[in-house]
Parts: sequence; structure tokens; C-alpha cells
Amino acid sequence: MRGIAIQHFKEIEHTADWAFRACGRDLAQLYANAARGLFALQGSTGSSETSLAREVAVSGVDRETLLVNWLNELLYLQETQRETYSCFEILEISETQLRARVRGRPHRPEGKLIKAVTFHDLEVRQSEEGWEVAIVVDV
Amino acid sequence: MTTAKRSIPTRRDLVQVTQHLWEIPRSFRSDMRAPARLYADEALLDDALGDRSSEQLVNTATLPGIVRYAIAMPDIHQGYGFPIGGVVATRLPDGVISPGGVGYDINCGVRLLASEASAGEVSPFLAELASRLYRNCPSGVGVHGEIKLQDSELDKVLVEGGRWTEERGYARAEDLQHTEEFGTMPGADPEYVSHKARERGRAQVGTLGAGNHFIEVDRVAEIFDETAAEFLGLFADQAVVQIHCGSRGFGHQVCEDYVARFQTTVHDYGIELPDRELVCAPFESEEGQQYFHAMACAANFAFANRQVLAHCVRRSFEQALAGKISGFDLHQVYDIAHNMAKIEEHVVGGTHMRLCVHRKGATRAFGPGSPGLPDDLRDIGQPVLIPGSMGTASYVLIGTLGSMEQTFGSTCHGAGRVWSRARARKTVRGQQLRQELEERGIAVRTGSMQGLAEEAPQAYKDVSRVVDVVARAGISKKVARLEPIAVIKA
Repeated sequence: MRGIAIQHFKEIEHTADWAFRACGRDLAQLYANAARGLFALQGSTGSSETSLAREVAVSGVDRETLLVNWLNELLYLQETQRETYSCFEILEISETQLRARVRGRPHRPEGKLIKAVTFHDLEVRQSEEGWEVAIVVDV
Repeated sequence: MTTAKRSIPTRRDLVQVTQHLWEIPRSFRSDMRAPARLYADEALLDDALGDRSSEQLVNTATLPGIVRYAIAMPDIHQGYGFPIGGVVATRLPDGVISPGGVGYDINCGVRLLASEASAGEVSPFLAELASRLYRNCPSGVGVHGEIKLQDSELDKVLVEGGRWTEERGYARAEDLQHTEEFGTMPGADPEYVSHKARERGRAQVGTLGAGNHFIEVDRVAEIFDETAAEFLGLFADQAVVQIHCGSRGFGHQVCEDYVARFQTTVHDYGIELPDRELVCAPFESEEGQQYFHAMACAANFAFANRQVLAHCVRRSFEQALAGKISGFDLHQVYDIAHNMAKIEEHVVGGTHMRLCVHRKGATRAFGPGSPGLPDDLRDIGQPVLIPGSMGTASYVLIGTLGSMEQTFGSTCHGAGRVWSRARARKTVRGQQLRQELEERGIAVRTGSMQGLAEEAPQAYKDVSRVVDVVARAGISKKVARLEPIAVIKA
């Protein structure tokens, strides 16, 4: 996970906490890649070996709130269900609603995990390739 | 969200007020409602201007109802929304409360316990003591402790905090006397806490957590103020223990819930802000009150958490040291919060004002004679606990009349980061760091070498320098310096 330079998300420097940039050709891919980045930062290898699936539905008043609610929902499930996720399929998405199927496996947390996703300078914006966002997380 | 042009202040934008105090005037940016002030020496000022923390400080000066100025302590570093090391007071009733101004780890804080034994007496048994502490004090994100609470019992924790721990046999009466707010934050109402927060917190009372949280056994390496040290029961070469942690997943969820909800609230009140993480509501509004009730629940959760951990630390000392040395019992020196919004009365321009004082990565440092201090400390002022970075010194300070005059009774909270976690991981190897610490006689127990590397001392400012600034600026007084002999981390 050190110096992540995988295609659709990349760790960026932040003094106290962690930050990463995600991109996607459309909003569905952006939100899936943001989730991949979130779990990659926590040491997930993106393994295709999964043994469980969950359906997640979240809403938010705008794209940014939807993104924060989506990622925080995954962190909540990770902590309370003791699971980790590596596969994110966005089933439905609008500006304010998201429904997804996530797949992963049971996971006993060890060491550092992300505690929360913040709104700090958060802006989901259009880029030449589609969409991008920079996300600061609390660790 | 605003039309004001964002930019990072440079040296040219600063006006020096005193030797250790600098001001960014309101004219720097059109949306500032008050000036911003930074406590620093030359080197720490360069650090503060080296990342985006000074811009974040300016952002906090835009909060409606801000009184006097936004303040940055010398350990300021880049956070999200507020900088870490920031103090903002807003006037009541119309000033705002900002969940992001408190942060995710509500009532993250430090507790100091002191034995009657010398570090020399403890050191032959240090390895066993460190292992006992690591086993007895569960650590790691999402880790569960011994206590699992049903809803009605969890409600009692949220309303009573430290008082609940006393009823359950985890606290001595004198522990609560020597805890900020006496261990119980007023205003807590579990009705405003979400189901999710409950689920995250239910099994986490008595757990250390991850990140920069730790338990550390220290020796008192130097006494600066004999009289104050005697009041606090501290003496040279004494073995003492610091516990640094907060409200765990419970507090995070409370913050998340209200930062998300306030994204619309802020528009309802017509408040424009430069950063969405700063969202806020007027303190006396329905939404502002709801957050305050929930925040107080998280504060009580954290007081209970540190108290149960103190109980586990006492048990570890007994298991490792009973029958071997005397004086292993631990008395509580004090317990402080460094992420909190509190209602306090301060004198502003000769007038008594009720304020909502946000301290994010900053510590209350009430001077002698202040309300809220226990009788035995009223004459010397509030103890302030400043943990250093891992493997370096920590400090015990006391609040002063200067902090009451200058900083709404506030001071610094720690060393403050200068390196990103990514840079620390790239530069430092956890295993090698552990070896270096052990070669210096410091026992290390950790579950994560990566976590250890991220907290490497090189990643932080020099805590002694930070403490010297607050002492010279007159907002705290040095009492004692502590040096680690055992570190327990997630």
C-alpha cells in the first residue's frame, strides 16, 4: 500500500492524517474507486477472494455528502461487522442516492484503520477523463 | 461556498505582537470576522507556514460570533476544517458551535497517574509491567474491551461518565476530583445520539484505540517548580503513567452524524463558510443544542474510557510489582481533554461573557482561583498534560492568569506533526525504530510496526520548543518533564 500509484486512486501528502485522490469516467466508477482507495490505504490488497456480500444504500443532499456517507457507511460496517471489502459494484446512482453491492471477507482489525472520512475541501469535480475528488480521512 | 479568495498566509502577512505572538490581521481576507493569532518562535512559525495549517486558522476566523481572535498554539499543524492546535471562542447566545471545531475524537485527552516508587525501583520489572499493560489494555481500531453495555447501561455512561465508573468500582472518589469537569460533562442527553454511535461504542469502553493513542510509563526527569510539583504529588525520578485516548468509534460517529447533518443546517441559517468541514449552527438553535447534547455524551464516554483504562493500568502495576516493591499504587494527578467545546465565562474587554470555547488539539489551562478546579488545586492552577512524541519528553504544566487573559484559558496539547504519515512510513522502519527505542532502555509493546513508524519522533516538532513558547508567552508554567521508560501502542 506504500506510495499507492494504482490507476484510479493515489495517496497524497497530508501532515496529520491521510489523503487520497480518486477518479472515474463516470460517477459510479468514481464512487467505486474512492471505496477501493479507502480500503487500499488500510492495507487491503484488492484480493478477488471474497466470502461475503452486502447491499449498501445511502443518500445525501449533494454529490459530496453522498460520497462521505457512502465511505463512512463502509467504515461503520468494517468496524461493527469486523469485515473488510475489496469489490464494489454500484447498482444505482444519482446525485443524491446510491445503492451498491460490496464483497469482502471477515477481518480482524490489526493496527491502523481509517476512523472517518471528512468534508475537508471536498469537491467532486469534472475532469478531462470524467470525474475526480480528493479525500482527507481521519486516522 | 464563499467568494473570498483563499490563499496561504506568508511571513509578509504577519504582524509581530510580542516575541512569541504573531497576528494575521482581518484585512488578510475579506471573509475574516476577527484577526488570527499564532503563538510560535521563529522555527515553529516556519513550520506553521510550511503546510496549510495557517490557511485553516484563517478559515476558523470566519465563524459567526467569534470573539477577539482565532488562536493557534505553537504545536499547530494541518488538520481538516480547524487546524490541530486551534482555539475559537464564540459569544452566546448567537455565536455558533461547530462539530468540526471539536473534531472526530471528542474529548481525546490525557490522564497522568503517579506511583510512590522511583523509576529505578520499577525498572528491573519493566518488561513484565509493559507486557501486562499491553495485555490488560485492549488496543487497535474497532477492538472490544471486557465491558459490553446494554442500552440502559450505555445511557448511564453517556450521562454520568466518570460517576458511572465510580459506581461500578473502576474509580476512586479522588480520581474524579482530579478530572476536568470532575469526570462528568454537563448537558449530555442520549436522545440525540444515533443508533450507529451506540453500536460502535457499546463494547469500546476501556479500550485504547489506534493512531497516536498510547499508554506510557515515564520517569520524572526534571522538576521546574517544586511547590507545584508537591501539590501534584510529583517528585524527581518518580515512576508515573500517561494514558492518551478518547471517545473511540462512539465519538467519531457523533461527529460524522452532525457534520453530515449540518451540511444543510448551515444553509438554513444563511452561514457561508470557506470549508465544508467547518459547518456549524448557532449554539442556541435546535440543531446546535442537539449537537452539544450528543457531544457531551461522547465526552462522558471518553472520561469513562480513560477511567476504566486507569483501572486496568492499576491492575497491571499490582500484577507486575506487588510483593516486589512498595509504592506501586497509582494516584491520579489529573485528566485533561484536548478536543472539546465548552461553555465558559471569560472576561473580554472588562466584561464577563458566556462563550462557547472550541479547543481542537488545545488544552484548557485555567489559572489559579478559576472556577472548576478542585479545592486542593485552586491556589496553584489547573494541571496541563502535554504528551511528547513517542520516545521523547512529555511535560506537566499548570495554567496561569496569563492564559485567562490571552487565550480563553487555553494552551498547547502536544508536539504537533511536521511530517505526513506517508513520509514517516517511507522514511522510518518500525522494526528499526523499536530497536532504537529498546537500546535506549525503553520497553515497546505494539501490534503494528507501520503504526509505530508513523508515530516516529522525527515526524513531530520538538515538544520542548513548543512548551518553551507557551511558558515564555505566559499562558502556562512548567512543572515537570517526563521521559519514557515503556511505550504501549496499538
